[in-house]
Amino acid sequence: MFNFADVQGNIVRGYRGKPRVRHLVLEIADRIAARRWLAACASGGDNVPQITTGDWGADKPVTCFNIGLTYEGLRALGTPDSSLETFPNEFIEGMHARALKLGDVGESAPENWPAPFKDPKRIHLVATIYASDIAQLNQVQDQALADGRTLRLLGGALDGCSFPDDLVHFGYRDNLTQPRFAGVHDAERYADGQPKAPLGTVLLGHPTNFEGLEWRVPEPEQLGHNGTFNAFRVLKQEVVAFEEFLGTAADHLLSQASVDELLPLGADAIGQGLSPRDALREVVAGSICGRWRGTGTPLALSPDRPNLLPGMSLTDFDYDSSRCPYGAHIRRCNPRGGQIVQRVANNSRRLVRRGMPYGPLYDPANPRDPELERGLLSNFIGANLGAQFEAMSCDWLNLGLQDPRITGSNDPMLGANDFKTSWFDLPLRSGRTIRLRGLPRFVQTRGGAYTFLPSLSAIRFLGSLMM
Amino acid sequence: MPNGGSWFDQFVNELPKKPWFKRVGAWILVPIWAWRTPVKPLRGGPRPSIQPADNLQSMMNLIMPLKRENKSPIGRAKAALAIAENKDQIFAGLDNVGTVHFARFVIVNDNICMFSVYDGDFSNYIRDFIATIGGVFDAVVALVEGGDDVLPSAHKVEAFIEWIRRHDLYQVPDTATDFLRDQEALNGDNAASGNDDLSLLPRKLILQLRANANVSLGSGYRAYPGYSAAQVRERLGIGW
Repeated sequence: MFNFADVQGNIVRGYRGKPRVRHLVLEIADRIAARRWLAACASGGDNVPQITTGDWGADKPVTCFNIGLTYEGLRALGTPDSSLETFPNEFIEGMHARALKLGDVGESAPENWPAPFKDPKRIHLVATIYASDIAQLNQVQDQALADGRTLRLLGGALDGCSFPDDLVHFGYRDNLTQPRFAGVHDAERYADGQPKAPLGTVLLGHPTNFEGLEWRVPEPEQLGHNGTFNAFRVLKQEVVAFEEFLGTAADHLLSQASVDELLPLGADAIGQGLSPRDALREVVAGSICGRWRGTGTPLALSPDRPNLLPGMSLTDFDYDSSRCPYGAHIRRCNPRGGQIVQRVANNSRRLVRRGMPYGPLYDPANPRDPELERGLLSNFIGANLGAQFEAMSCDWLNLGLQDPRITGSNDPMLGANDFKTSWFDLPLRSGRTIRLRGLPRFVQTRGGAYTFLPSLSAIRFLGSLMM
Repeated sequence: MPNGGSWFDQFVNELPKKPWFKRVGAWILVPIWAWRTPVKPLRGGPRPSIQPADNLQSMMNLIMPLKRENKSPIGRAKAALAIAENKDQIFAGLDNVGTVHFARFVIVNDNICMFSVYDGDFSNYIRDFIATIGGVFDAVVALVEGGDDVLPSAHKVEAFIEWIRRHDLYQVPDTATDFLRDQEALNGDNAASGNDDLSLLPRKLILQLRANANVSLGSGYRAYPGYSAAQVRERLGIGW
């Protein structure tokens, strides 16, 4: 049986009972002290927060604490060159250098990121605290940075907080599915027809989704085995622009002869008492994501109404012969078993996603503080950044290479869109489509870093480095 | 070119045309320059871009020198056989990769070459290629200098992708002066030198073509730019 006590808990668990998160972007100020700090975090004692592992034993932890190290962080700790050079290129180069692959251009380009992400060489460690309230976050932070000399906090703490019913900005429901892993107990056991992901999808040193293929495990084995990589991203969401676009798109649809095909059951089926325009706004919003706003019902199962009918599942569905738009966000990022161009790539680019919104909930009916920044503090975790996160970002999220009907367009929600060239096709019952144009970029990257999430053995190894 | 009237200016201007000077240049001058100003080879593959049309129909020019013991008619015959024996599997594999327009194998002197036109990201192309037919292609790579270090490709995916990229030709930009910008960027120099008079046959250009002896010139001609292989197949009604 796999030893979950060796793996950081945020990789295999969702921490659903902890509605608050804080990310601390840290610079190692004292190499020797930082090693001692790491060793203590992994082994208990010395009044530092304990790393939460995947094995909770009998008691749920009150707060959770996890760390990720950048390449610069591993160097700052004095990891030998012979070991550093066994890490993958994309991790060594870092998120800044991979900007074009990730669509981080224009306003989202790394040179426009605010502190602490402006200066990637100084970002060594990202520590993440999960808790029930701010007092607990403060307490763990104080404990982690107690002596003020070992680690230097860069910029301010990045706080996120989950909204009721797992809602996120733009009004969608998040946290509905995650990959389930072979050999890992799945506490939620929701219906899901997708094949279980091999453990190597998320942990180094285990079988991967490509039969026979092995990713290189950083050396020595104690450092690499059971570790994984994380793309930490601060994603700003343009809530006002998004709501405005829904209105513009609804007005455009109302002028189309085939608009009735989009509301075959009438506007009331979308929401009691909604005007056709407001119902069409929801149709556009649902089509952009592939799930209806509020309920999270997949369009693959229910293309004409947002409410789940008996026998339907939020999680158990597939795309072939469904009316989910080919370019919808969730279909683009994980085409499940649907036909795609790259026949070997189905299920190969899956990611564990751990995200929490930041900024206050936005209510378009009562738009208070529209200028406040809102977004998602997100983590995309996978054993191979190049084969999973980057492959998904550059060929699927943007470009749309997986399906000839969307190639040349970007993800309508998350893509690097330019309103002058962007487009998105809404499928109709007749099989025809209506093309929406002029989508601006709704999500801007405001920072991020590639981090390595070491196993507990690896943290002890780093803590015991002598060089 | 400066058009001075003095006999000395004329003499200098005529120098590059003199056979003796060409020899002196090639055998003495350029090696001395190269020794004084080391130039790193520029990286292979297409230029990174966010524009969708730039990421479709990219060209790979893979030049793999045969091992020393294979640099002979016998070695070339072995390479030809390695392709011929596995042709059906390689083609079926490329079909499954799904993003490849054309691919062909060529022997030039003692190099086995694969030229292909593919859509999307280079690493994704090569990774999917390994996942589909890596084992078969390994037989070809085994004949090539340095190939043993990245075999079997299925267990050395990252190293194999990097190796292929090193053997993919640097693609000279369509705008010749961008060549100089690439060179400056490689050396971490962000300020354009401005010394871009190509009619003077810049020393930088000569040294770079010494470091990258084989290059692909320009991004190439496309009869129907901006379409993926799957889009072409879909429109022709032949399935994708």
